[in-house]
Amino acid sequence: MFDAHALVGDLAVTLDVDVLVGAYPDRDGPVGTPSSVLGVLREHDIRAGAVASLRAALFDVVSGNDEVLALAATRPRPDVVPVGVVDLRDPVGAARELERLAAASVRAVRLFPDEQGVEAGFPSVRHVARRAAALGLTVLTGGDVRRFWRPFSGLEATVVFLDTHFYHLGDFLVAAVDEPGFHTSTRLLNSPDALELAAAEVGAGRLLYGSRTPFYEPLVPLLRLATSGLKPEEVAAVAGGNARRLLT
Amino acid sequence: MIIDVHAHWGPWFFTMDVAGANLATMDRYGIDLAIVSATEAVIYDAAAGNRALAQALTAGGPADRLYGYVTVNPRRPADAERDLREYLPTGRFVGVKIHTDYTASPVTSPQMRDALAMVASFGVPALVHTWDASVLDLAALCQDIPGLRVIAGHMGAGGHRHAIEAARGCDRLYLEPCWSHFPAGRIAEVAAGVDPHRLLFGTDATLIDPAAAFGAVAAARLDSRTAELVAWRNAAALFGLPLPNRPAS
Repeated sequence: MFDAHALVGDLAVTLDVDVLVGAYPDRDGPVGTPSSVLGVLREHDIRAGAVASLRAALFDVVSGNDEVLALAATRPRPDVVPVGVVDLRDPVGAARELERLAAASVRAVRLFPDEQGVEAGFPSVRHVARRAAALGLTVLTGGDVRRFWRPFSGLEATVVFLDTHFYHLGDFLVAAVDEPGFHTSTRLLNSPDALELAAAEVGAGRLLYGSRTPFYEPLVPLLRLATSGLKPEEVAAVAGGNARRLLT
Repeated sequence: MIIDVHAHWGPWFFTMDVAGANLATMDRYGIDLAIVSATEAVIYDAAAGNRALAQALTAGGPADRLYGYVTVNPRRPADAERDLREYLPTGRFVGVKIHTDYTASPVTSPQMRDALAMVASFGVPALVHTWDASVLDLAALCQDIPGLRVIAGHMGAGGHRHAIEAARGCDRLYLEPCWSHFPAGRIAEVAAGVDPHRLLFGTDATLIDPAAAFGAVAAARLDSRTAELVAWRNAAALFGLPLPNRPAS
């Protein structure tokens, strides 16, 4: 009963685009230690995660990013793809950190506008979008896709919207038609036909499995993908092939 | 055997095309029976939606796996009473659905109190949309209305800790977990804090794919007895459902 693993079968995620280490001080848990987070990934046959630091997002960018870079460097298997973070409350410092991350061969930077209280129309977002695009960094961004598509438009930016809810899928799709670099996490695309509709409209190459481990149940988007109507090669792309193309 | 106590029948206004997807969606997750409300009734016109659903449910065939909620708009009590008198005796409708937001009828509103008192007089359970702390208001109202049995739809969504308190405060209040978000540990926390006889399974299909609720419940790793209660036993007892003669899931 409720045997999700029978439905998931042998589907493995080769790269999860949405993984965090660290904790939110305003929540009871989870603690988000690297070992616990990587344990959750292993439990779900998620073989690698694009990991970003909540310390960087909430408190100190440089030391948080360095923690993730160090974590990735010490892993015996390449199961951590480091994702940098900048603070949108400090656009001047963010530009400096983007340069530092790029010099360290980091391929992606993650934005936390909700956590940082930053709206899509703030100048800092457009500034960071421009700098990231110029450096060839893939941007992973939270926030409402109906608003956060705009600061990235017209820049030939590569962006993964991490919070796209199926309620707003139509907005993502019409924006993505004009922006070949726009992608979305599948985490909240959990209506009965969102994955299939998105694949039909803009191609499965725009969809990336994201779990938000350890704060969300990774089983849910895994189950949705496993039971989807996508072709096997599309499932494999969503389960990590697309993420590897953008992040490694 | 799995019974989905929170499902819908009909089209949605979002970018989706799922009006005919009930049975296929259920089959993907081994859901045997679903209790559905008409989307038209929930969102716009309760009477017209109830009428359309009644026609679909009495058509026989695969629709036999669906039971109906009579949707009540607390602002249309005369229509509601007429629909309850007409559709409940058919045996194809087994409860009432009330959405607080679409009808601008919060649980604390006078029209909601009157509507739930009417539902209680008909002796069927009511599925009521709850969000955040409104589930506590529902528990208080349930205590005030003799004989009322209510299901807190979404069990308060992010307010699931309020739902635990609500279920402890009223022994005629049941919790149903569906939500498009699935924070880690939410179901396990509720299951640990509430009498397992008060837990139900619901998906919000065809708005939300059952993957969300099914996966969240699976992740909670309920013991086998609790899982069975959640999956169907509690729902069958609450709604008095005749169980189908078909293989268990």
